[in-house]
Amino acid sequence: MSQSQDIQFDGLYAHELTVSRSEQVLLEDADLHLAPSTITYLYGENGAGKTSLMRCLAGLLPADHGVVYWNKKPISHPDSGYFQDLIFLAHSLSMKNELTIAENLRFYANLRLKGRVHQKSLSNDISGVLRELGIGGLENRMFAELSAGQQHKVALARLMLEPAKIWILDEPFVNLDQKTRGWLADKTLAFKEQGGVVLFTSHHHIDELPVDQNVGVEHE
Amino acid sequence: MILTLLKRELKVARRNWIGLAIPLLFFIIVVSLFPFAVSPEAPVLQKLAPGVIWVAALLAMLLSLEQFYRSDYQDGSLEQLLLMSSPTSVAISKILAHWLLTGLPLVILSPLLAVLMQINYGSAGSSHTWVLMLSLVLGTPTLCLLGAVGMSLTLAASRNGLLVSILIIPLYVPILIFGASTVTASLENMRYNGELAILGAFLLIAIVFAPFASGRALKISVG
Repeated sequence: MSQSQDIQFDGLYAHELTVSRSEQVLLEDADLHLAPSTITYLYGENGAGKTSLMRCLAGLLPADHGVVYWNKKPISHPDSGYFQDLIFLAHSLSMKNELTIAENLRFYANLRLKGRVHQKSLSNDISGVLRELGIGGLENRMFAELSAGQQHKVALARLMLEPAKIWILDEPFVNLDQKTRGWLADKTLAFKEQGGVVLFTSHHHIDELPVDQNVGVEHE
Repeated sequence: MILTLLKRELKVARRNWIGLAIPLLFFIIVVSLFPFAVSPEAPVLQKLAPGVIWVAALLAMLLSLEQFYRSDYQDGSLEQLLLMSSPTSVAISKILAHWLLTGLPLVILSPLLAVLMQINYGSAGSSHTWVLMLSLVLGTPTLCLLGAVGMSLTLAASRNGLLVSILIIPLYVPILIFGASTVTASLENMRYNGELAILGAFLLIAIVFAPFASGRALKISVG
């Protein structure tokens, strides 16, 4: 893209973004900037297009118009390194029922780090994170055997096991107990302190997590 | 990267082996019923054998396609795979795993069916069996590759089984024709090199284009 030199924004920057889903325009010519070290809260009613916007920013849903930049380069450009830096946790948990918790987490970590990871220390890291989440010792349980809340915790454990610079989280606080909400808020703040970009949605206001930027999606 | 994906596929499949056994069982049952239904005499069965075995193999592959991509699409892991690796390598690893788990077992089981269908009857019997296996080795990967394209195109449609069948059966027909006629030629003691070469050509073309096409279609289906 010839315009890419003009972009002055670090972090994630969406320029004149138009997103539609099933012939319905959800977003028209919107500019959105998620700077490093900021937490952005995306709000909107059910069906307003929060998830579609997130999927578009994650590069899964092609935009009708507009470009999304990551550190001044279009995300589709191989040099942007966007997909190395991004963890996108969708509403579906993306875990296989047929694998154990540890196998699921290890697979994603290996895929992201292209196998350049010490397997023994990865196993230790997995045990450590699961303990923090209150599901320690369940590493070798099948994913299908867990309760909905526990499954959700396993999906969140990925955030701690894979290095990233931007988190896009669809409803990360749903289904969580008080303690885990606090844990996730702490970890999100720590990630922000290290220069991370965070975009998340939620139905309720999260008291534990101070937000730097609010972005709303509204129905026409 | 492909190795990581492949290892995961095989691990999931191992825990879910019943789903994989069904197409194989289907393959065996269909072929083994023919001697009962038609006639156990060698000349009759030999005439039917190439067609019956190849049709059964094709239908077994079609039956197994249902598992291609479907569960990954439903539980959201396909999305994650596409984010974290290239669509083509996702397709390659899926196709490879799928062939190892369905195509290869079909090839391994085929000598058994050759016995049932009296292909190994007579002095040149074992060479006919080898030709059958060779035709399946060259043909079934092509069926997998084409099936992958069909499945990835129709993922977003619910109940896509029928749609896929309509979409890819016309593409399967040439492979069926040359696969079965390879074995027929061998049984009639004629040269079968030409048929095998064409099966090989189909395979090479499919290897070049199908993973790429399937990967692109996956991107579209997920978007």
